[in-house]
Amino acid sequence: MPKLTIDGKTLEVAKGTTVLEAAQQLGVHVPRYCYHPKLSVSGNCRMCLVEVEKSPKLLTACSTEAAEGMVVHTATEKVKAARRDVLEYLLLNHPLDCPVCDQAGECGLQDYYMEHSRAKSRFPAEDKVRRQKRRPLGPHLVLDNERCILCTRCVRFCAEVTKTAELEVMERGDRSFIDLKEGRALDNGYSLNIADVCPVGAWTSRDFRFKQRVWFLKKTPTVCLGCATGCLTEVHHNEGAIYRVMPRPNAETNTWLCDAGRMVYKAVQAGDRLAKGVIKNGLIELEPALRETASRIDENHAAAAVLGSPWLSVEDNAALARLAKDALKTENFSFDFNAEQGIKDGILINKDPAPNAAGARRVKAACGGLSFGELAAKVASGAVKVLVTEARAAALLKNELKAGGARLIVFAANRSEIPQGAYATLPYANYFETPGTFVNFQGLERRTVPAVAAPEGVRPLWAMVNRLAVYSGTSLHLDSAEAALKGIL
Amino acid sequence: MPFTLTETFKTRAALVCARYPRKDAALIPLLQELQREKGYVAEEAMDALAVFLGLPYSRVKAVVTFYTMFNRVPAGKYHLQVCRNVSCHMAGAPGLLARLREKLGIAEGETTKDGLFTLSAVECLGACGTAPVMQVNDTYFEKLDAGKLDALLEDLRHGRLRAIGR
Repeated sequence: MPKLTIDGKTLEVAKGTTVLEAAQQLGVHVPRYCYHPKLSVSGNCRMCLVEVEKSPKLLTACSTEAAEGMVVHTATEKVKAARRDVLEYLLLNHPLDCPVCDQAGECGLQDYYMEHSRAKSRFPAEDKVRRQKRRPLGPHLVLDNERCILCTRCVRFCAEVTKTAELEVMERGDRSFIDLKEGRALDNGYSLNIADVCPVGAWTSRDFRFKQRVWFLKKTPTVCLGCATGCLTEVHHNEGAIYRVMPRPNAETNTWLCDAGRMVYKAVQAGDRLAKGVIKNGLIELEPALRETASRIDENHAAAAVLGSPWLSVEDNAALARLAKDALKTENFSFDFNAEQGIKDGILINKDPAPNAAGARRVKAACGGLSFGELAAKVASGAVKVLVTEARAAALLKNELKAGGARLIVFAANRSEIPQGAYATLPYANYFETPGTFVNFQGLERRTVPAVAAPEGVRPLWAMVNRLAVYSGTSLHLDSAEAALKGIL
Repeated sequence: MPFTLTETFKTRAALVCARYPRKDAALIPLLQELQREKGYVAEEAMDALAVFLGLPYSRVKAVVTFYTMFNRVPAGKYHLQVCRNVSCHMAGAPGLLARLREKLGIAEGETTKDGLFTLSAVECLGACGTAPVMQVNDTYFEKLDAGKLDALLEDLRHGRLRAIGR
């Protein structure tokens, strides 16, 4: 365990720790571009140069292993001069794009220039090397070679994380540029992480470009509901609209976020978002829709069934359980979902596309109910006359519903989710709009935090269930998400 | 017709690969081998070599584009490669390049219409002590000046690729 001194403070670090990481442990930020904690060390940007006593030259903190008795200085005049010089070099051929660059506000060059340089360029603008600008490469990214500082984070991401190795530095010297095979698209399922790791404005997201200046964005930490992995995310939004979803790196689950997970937010502000009820394909106001639905359930009170959903939060599943047990007073309900879970691609994407099968099983553990197979058999045999569930869960019983002919009542957030043949559909607030508890494939409980408000009149699913029960003449007393959770978590 | 690696190449490649602990270490010698066969390394050849060595195509392309010694298009009968690095630059390489451009009527990277000359500016040829240097095909011409260059061009026009007085 080597002991070293950084800026007068001594600390002991694990063998193999680099000077940069050791400094980080002390809270000393060494500026860097090419270093990334989850990628191999490249040492090419030279931004992290520090002074080490008894070393004749400055050393790159990212690639120098901490050694016993090492004395490091990160803020001497020599280091400061080196940073200024490195920045001057990196900015030599960098275009003056900042006013029209989407990275402005979260750009490594802007930040370090203000912090470490503030020098006027001695290089005439007309001598700058010109390169290809705004090249769409693949469905998610645009590459601007002129802005690139060749840190190779993107190259290493593709080689080491996705192992697809599409990118490389072509040519050499001041003619170098990042490129991939002609005619090939950069579409490896994780490509938007490249826009995140890019410290400058070379790689930008086609989805996010020019939608919003980053300094206007508000950030809400939440959870990705794209699959059972349950990655921690951060939703960036402003004035009631979501603009992008970024990963919130954590030791348990994720450093990155897949492209599909980043696009889940699109459904929230999609054109087919439901704010009213749907009865047999016709949109109707919410209250009449609830009344109609309640009377259809009452008609078949004795033969009603409820199926929970692995796409719903524990709260909303619990509310559905209360509906079955306390309002319908039936034993025909199931919260039993056992899809195979586990990381499918060795990175993040789960075999189970639903985010909360484990959470639904907790409702089952507390409230009981039938196994999924038992309920499916009852639906198929026609013993169930009316089934209440969530739209995507209804698809799990598609064939049984066809065989048994039960009337289907679903909760759906978007019109495109409504399964064919649904009799009534009720809208609900999704989890960018309402808090909910989810249990991921590792059994970790995670809560979504609302980033934006639901469309007018749309309430969380537990509140909709409460209203539905009132129309049927029962009060479930579901006044809050916590009330629904009582006795379950 | 899709590009395929010849059997001769594959036999030689097996020998080259055997010299290295890792297959990817054989990349540069095999690119040289390909260039010896055809005179240049075509895009399809890079693809085939990448598959052969189990490397990503981008890696092969990156190496080919990094080294100026690999031609990506067929070169003329005489490939004039003028070093453009520091020592040669200071010893007058820009003047030599300008003279060649003017006399041949082509820019760097181009080939004369008669197919005789291809002009390239290349990276360090490792002969800084005798700068400025130009490599013609596989032969070095060192300590060049305008007079020597003119004499050399005259020789080459008559099909004589030979050393000139030092």
